[in-house]
Amino acid sequence: MTPASTSRARLGGRSLAPAVLTVGAFALVALLVLAPLAHIGLALATEAGAAALRDVFTGRIATNMLWLPLKHTLLIGLAVTLACVVLGGLLAWLVTMTDMPLRRVIGLLAALPFMIPTFAVALAWTVIFANDRLGEAGIGVLARLGAEPPAWLAWGAVPVTLVLIAHLYAIAYLMIAPALATVGRDLIAAAEITGASRAQVLKGVVFPLVAPALAAAGALCFAEAASSFSAPAILGLPVRFHTLATRAYGAFETGSPERGYALIATMIVVSAALLLLAARARRRGQSFATAAGKGVVRARMALGAWRWPLAIAALALVTATTIVPALALVLSSLSPQSGDVFGAWSWHYWLGAPDAAIARGQPGILRNPELHRAFIVTLAAGLFTGVSALAVGLVVGEAIARLGAGTVATTLRQLAFLPLLIPGLAIGAAFIGLYGALLYGSFALVVIAGVAATLPFAVESVAAARAQIAAELEESARLAGAGPLGVLVGVTLPLAAGKLLAGFVLVFVKMVRDLDLVILLYTPALPLLTVVAFRYASDGFAQFAHAVAVVILVLSIAAHLAAGGFGRAAQPWLAER
Amino acid sequence: MTTLRSLSLALCAAGLCALVPAAASASEAEVEAAARAEGQVTVYSFTSRVFRLETAFEEAYPEIDLIPFDISSTEQIARIQAELQAGVTGADVAYLADAPVVTEALVEPGHLEAFVPPAFADRIPDRFETPLLAHRLSTKVLMYNEEAHPDGPPVDTLWALTTEPWRGRVVMVDPSQRGDYLDLLTEIVLQSEAMAAAHEAEFGEPVKRDAGIANAGEQWIVDLLANDVVFVSSTDDVNVAVGALGQENPPLGFTSYSDRRDNEEEGWALQVANEVEPAPGIIYPAFLGILANAPNPNAAKLLITWMMGDESETGGPALAPFYVPGDYLTRTDIPPHQDAIPLDQFRAWRIDPEATAAARRAVADLVLAHQ
Repeated sequence: MTPASTSRARLGGRSLAPAVLTVGAFALVALLVLAPLAHIGLALATEAGAAALRDVFTGRIATNMLWLPLKHTLLIGLAVTLACVVLGGLLAWLVTMTDMPLRRVIGLLAALPFMIPTFAVALAWTVIFANDRLGEAGIGVLARLGAEPPAWLAWGAVPVTLVLIAHLYAIAYLMIAPALATVGRDLIAAAEITGASRAQVLKGVVFPLVAPALAAAGALCFAEAASSFSAPAILGLPVRFHTLATRAYGAFETGSPERGYALIATMIVVSAALLLLAARARRRGQSFATAAGKGVVRARMALGAWRWPLAIAALALVTATTIVPALALVLSSLSPQSGDVFGAWSWHYWLGAPDAAIARGQPGILRNPELHRAFIVTLAAGLFTGVSALAVGLVVGEAIARLGAGTVATTLRQLAFLPLLIPGLAIGAAFIGLYGALLYGSFALVVIAGVAATLPFAVESVAAARAQIAAELEESARLAGAGPLGVLVGVTLPLAAGKLLAGFVLVFVKMVRDLDLVILLYTPALPLLTVVAFRYASDGFAQFAHAVAVVILVLSIAAHLAAGGFGRAAQPWLAER
Repeated sequence: MTTLRSLSLALCAAGLCALVPAAASASEAEVEAAARAEGQVTVYSFTSRVFRLETAFEEAYPEIDLIPFDISSTEQIARIQAELQAGVTGADVAYLADAPVVTEALVEPGHLEAFVPPAFADRIPDRFETPLLAHRLSTKVLMYNEEAHPDGPPVDTLWALTTEPWRGRVVMVDPSQRGDYLDLLTEIVLQSEAMAAAHEAEFGEPVKRDAGIANAGEQWIVDLLANDVVFVSSTDDVNVAVGALGQENPPLGFTSYSDRRDNEEEGWALQVANEVEPAPGIIYPAFLGILANAPNPNAAKLLITWMMGDESETGGPALAPFYVPGDYLTRTDIPPHQDAIPLDQFRAWRIDPEATAAARRAVADLVLAHQ
């Protein structure tokens, strides 16, 4: 244990606040995480639950219901995680620590893929890559240009994996970059003075310092990829490629919720094992405090001849995952057929008056009062969930930090992480079962479920912010007579503000673009943009669906802008020379 | 409105439901007056045509707001059950198919109640009045592209779909996600004798059954899956795949006969393969029911009454969206659509909800087991 953490533990032990904080944190986690899990467990403990477990594990459906989807889920999860950590990590390193040209633009674009709804990226994929498996009218841009993509690139495991990577590497970037940015010049200089090569500096100094961030990013990416429903549902179904999430959805939809819960329970158990590994890696790196009382002086590593090739590769990556899908969606929202983006464009799907000859008389989305309502509800849901999740995250994150490295802290942290492993659909179903009697159809239930689903993001951003603030700063404040609240408001919050704001944007964006969570929670009086888009898509009104996806994207980017996402606070390393 | 709703809920909670203006014996005029006072009615509908009903209904009753929701039957059942568990009622009227599950899961426990408008009771055959009022008959049948095949369907038996030329070229909605498609496959299993006969007639030999396969219908499903059938998530995906104009070699698919009504609007050439042996698919009732504890019970009754049409020859604006080839209205006084195959010549199997309900779980597992 480092001296810093010893003194933190000592100071904490003297005050009553941590006990209250711990109890509060556990109470919140119990309500938001344990209760829905218990709901699932109880459903499996019934006779129907036992039969479902039997069918799913040993019945004749076991292979296609559980084992193959489990294999797919794990393979996708691992491939996406590996690719995201490597891509996000490399990008973060290039942007924060090297003299790569265009790094400002690249850094700004790299934050964007996370804001495009997964189902929209998947739809964008079909706009570009679809072959004629769904008929000749459904083919994408490439096939229309005469370059029909191979079947494996059109549907199934490969596109699902690529779409999730394109969507999730941004999370890895956003989590790794702040950690890299706080690695001081003094540490690197010290290593260089001892004669370490560039590779040795990366391996011996930089990597261990950011290992916790890498592990956390990997865990988040794995969980997000493994529980994603939209991407495999859109790109896997035509070739009958299933994951646990799509199989669970099918089970819920066809009135066998117990089977769905059995699959979800399996997913949680398997993922939890991987989560433990990640937690171990994180513990190893936890004692490095890099945001010390001293200013961080940094110098950028010279890339030499690799400057431009790397810049071009990085630019290609961020462009292919932001501008290309966004453009595909915008163009297809203007096109008479979704893959025919070079046809006669029309604003009808945006501005048109109802015309019985087009899409059964649906008006353009900007003229549709339901869409106006959905916009406001979605915006409000994002704001309220963001603020509430961050408040809960602060309590839980503070409790974890104050508890130090013991079993209690680890338990709390892992519990707070669990919602990530539960598909949004199951969280929605469990929350309706749990709190629906009081809150069904209410805005509050959407927000509460949203807080539960985004808790890991909130706690992670609080913990990441918290972990890097050297105890000496808080200690000084305490010695100067500040109470726990005073320390929090006067020292911790201002130092952590950048990351907390980033956490807020993460939660907001996730809420605004998420479909899986809200698909069971919405009601006629409570329309949400993603649900509206999904309804359009399943009614075959692809252009309207794409137009709404563009609105969601604009809303997410606007939030990012309003929170200073493109300013210095969000990615301060971008402004540095 | 919220006040009114909570007032009725409060009265009901106090065991005074009878005081809420919803008495079953109320005359039509009383129902209408009470419906106007309720001021709104929420509908879960398995067809997007509900949006056209909204406009027409609000023209007829401007003071009643129809709140339409386009939700598949399968999802309606899940949603209504989730709502029940939570002790709330999200809608007044459910318009849905999936008769086997609806009967078993919603009607028998009393969650969804029948209402037959008195004005139409004697113009609807009895079998369409229970367990719920059937608004019309809907279909899931084999359709082909009549632009590419102007001389009729390119196949004359369902067994052809399991042969090499149709490998990867038969499209349907995933029966693991949508009940009406599971009902279609279940009926094919229940009709195994006809399936076996059709196989003999076509190939001159009996069906060879794999190990563990009980009958010809099951074998057809296994063969179809082995022939790389394409699953999609909505009937409109099937319609576009099969029906879109300008295709050289379009696939075949199972979808609703009535989607042919959109051919001109959507640029499709959908046509039913009615002659295919042993049958092109299934025909089943589309139910209208009132949810137990519906917040606007009178508006619900008024809407159902209105949805059965008026006294004009083809039923007026309420039935206009459904007076199309491929939908068979249950009102006996409305003449069949002239462009459609008359019901007595339409060769689809009529499902028996009870038999289907008993067999569909095993068929669902068969589909899961052989993907």
